[in-house]
Amino acid sequence: MDLEQLRKTAAEVVAKDDVKYLIGWKKGTYGYRVSPVFIENEADTEDLIFSPLCTANLVTYLTLVEKPPLPRGQKPDTRKVALMVKGCDSRAVAQILVEKGIEREQIIVIGCPCPGVIDVNLLVAKYPEVAENTELKWSGEDFVLIRGGEEIPVKREEVLAEKCRLCRYPNPVVSDIMIGEPVKPWQTEEDTGVSELEGKNVAERWEYWEEQFARCIRCYSCRNVCPLCYCEDCILDRLNPTWINRAVNFSENTAFHIARAFHLAGRCVECGECERVCPVKIPLGRLNRKLAREVRDNYGFEPGLDPDGKPFQASYKPDDPEDFIL
Amino acid sequence: MSAMLLNKDKWPEFVGKLSGKVWVPKVEEGEAIRFGPLSGEESKLPEYCNTRVPPKEIVFPETETLYCFQADEHEMTAPEIDERKIIIGIRPCDARAMKIVEKLFRWDVDDPYYLKHRELVTLVGLACNAPGLNCFCTSVGGGPASTEGLDIIMFDLEDRYLLETITEKGEALLKEVEGLLEEAGQDVLAQKEKLIEAAENKISRSVDTEGIAEGLPGLWEDPLWKRVSASCLGCGTCTYLCPTCHCFDIQDETEGFEARRYRTWDSCMFEEYTRHASGHNPRPTRRERTRNRINHKYSYYVDKFDLIACVGCGRCINYCPVNIDIVEILRQVKEAL
Repeated sequence: MDLEQLRKTAAEVVAKDDVKYLIGWKKGTYGYRVSPVFIENEADTEDLIFSPLCTANLVTYLTLVEKPPLPRGQKPDTRKVALMVKGCDSRAVAQILVEKGIEREQIIVIGCPCPGVIDVNLLVAKYPEVAENTELKWSGEDFVLIRGGEEIPVKREEVLAEKCRLCRYPNPVVSDIMIGEPVKPWQTEEDTGVSELEGKNVAERWEYWEEQFARCIRCYSCRNVCPLCYCEDCILDRLNPTWINRAVNFSENTAFHIARAFHLAGRCVECGECERVCPVKIPLGRLNRKLAREVRDNYGFEPGLDPDGKPFQASYKPDDPEDFIL
Repeated sequence: MSAMLLNKDKWPEFVGKLSGKVWVPKVEEGEAIRFGPLSGEESKLPEYCNTRVPPKEIVFPETETLYCFQADEHEMTAPEIDERKIIIGIRPCDARAMKIVEKLFRWDVDDPYYLKHRELVTLVGLACNAPGLNCFCTSVGGGPASTEGLDIIMFDLEDRYLLETITEKGEALLKEVEGLLEEAGQDVLAQKEKLIEAAENKISRSVDTEGIAEGLPGLWEDPLWKRVSASCLGCGTCTYLCPTCHCFDIQDETEGFEARRYRTWDSCMFEEYTRHASGHNPRPTRRERTRNRINHKYSYYVDKFDLIACVGCGRCINYCPVNIDIVEILRQVKEAL
């Protein structure tokens, strides 16, 4: 991608009177880290980057906006929010639009066709040394690591994020401004994580998830990072009635993860954020992608593709399978 | 104080002879996630910089029953805390954290649960030869071989460990395995000093804490708080993985007539943390919550106990999903002073 073009476009966007800020990525504070950034001034658009390190999905910030009570007489800020999206991220925008979680005219979507991003853990394991001004760039089908003036070619399959191995929509499905040329979708890999679990019997699967959920510390980073977990009043926070107890144990943790997975069925756009942020490495992507697979295989439905479409639960077709009805 | 050597091939015998439940870092999903009881399969300590979940959970469990009761009776029963645990491989920062947090649990009223757990653990630390990318213990009063809070400190000398006792509890523990150890000579102690120096030199991040505790209250309305909290998701990763964060919530759980009151970790980064019954929240946004997290560690705790409630373990930096970096926040605080 042409960063000059990105920064120039971003500057034009934030210069508009009716734009509050632009949400993008900038270089982080250490190592390979990239940080979300909220840009209000034209000058700050110089910080913007778009690289294979921009794994985070920024769409969660659209619905994470805090609305504290305003002082008397003060009107809420209704200016637009601009944000940068990759293909997967844009599906979250489309899904929120379908659900009427945000209004189309309130956002400016800057689409960034994405040749695939990296899993930072894989990159660190392979190239632990980080110098000042370390950069990772796309180079043909692969990546190139620029470190201390040296250019190190990095093979795509060595560091590519799992979500990208399965990605079918590298180009934004909704955008107002597109930066750069669309990329050609690649041959996706089989979702072995889900297939492997499907191959197990119920007892084995239970054992697998028991081990995983028992580890959960209930920090709720998976819920908070999820662009589609935006209920104003989440059942997890409810105490009266207490649907899910605050006690951290296998039973309550499982109730939490199952509730979240079901709330995301037919809505999850497989952006992989829940799994990326989990501090105790629970493979949540497998759970959510399993439900996405069920919805896709049984109903031919994929969420987050058509911003004018209907939500999955509201899209009945006469030939929908109903063999699960007892 | 004694300095003894243990050959690594005698490790299984060493841990087998100790009288108490031995806890070590456990590898799950290819990484040392947290400490857990020795299963007997481990022939050595795993490779780890530090565990993701700090061993604070051994003395301050994420969920702990305070007492059980019956809805139709007046009796209450508190759980017995009586298991002796030997924590092997705890890093110096995490042991220091326990010492720091103990001040809080001894302040005002003694917390019987925390103090009982603390009394029953013996901490056998492992000095860091290779501190992590975001370690900054040396800036906040610790170090890769700090002995504060520890009963024994071990140094990894490739094929053997050097064990130095710090407390009587540590001395007593080594007595149990006397036959497996040999006295360490001067050459080994010199080697240890070199290791410590090399480890200290590997720490690349630092915080200048001078004037921060006194200066923070004056920055209450500073624009920096909005800036540093803009991308915060409001999750509990930073606080739950923090070895010194100690806030908890108290809840009741009932099943029929059976009930228990328990406490469970809480996080000042959660929206409902300070929400009043009226609905009013004195920390309405992530700006105020982030400000509280920093103030609590670097100002209030210093004010009350003359200690910074941060040991520089780097976990909040390593695992923040959106790169909120306490070292960078403190740099900005310093700049604003």
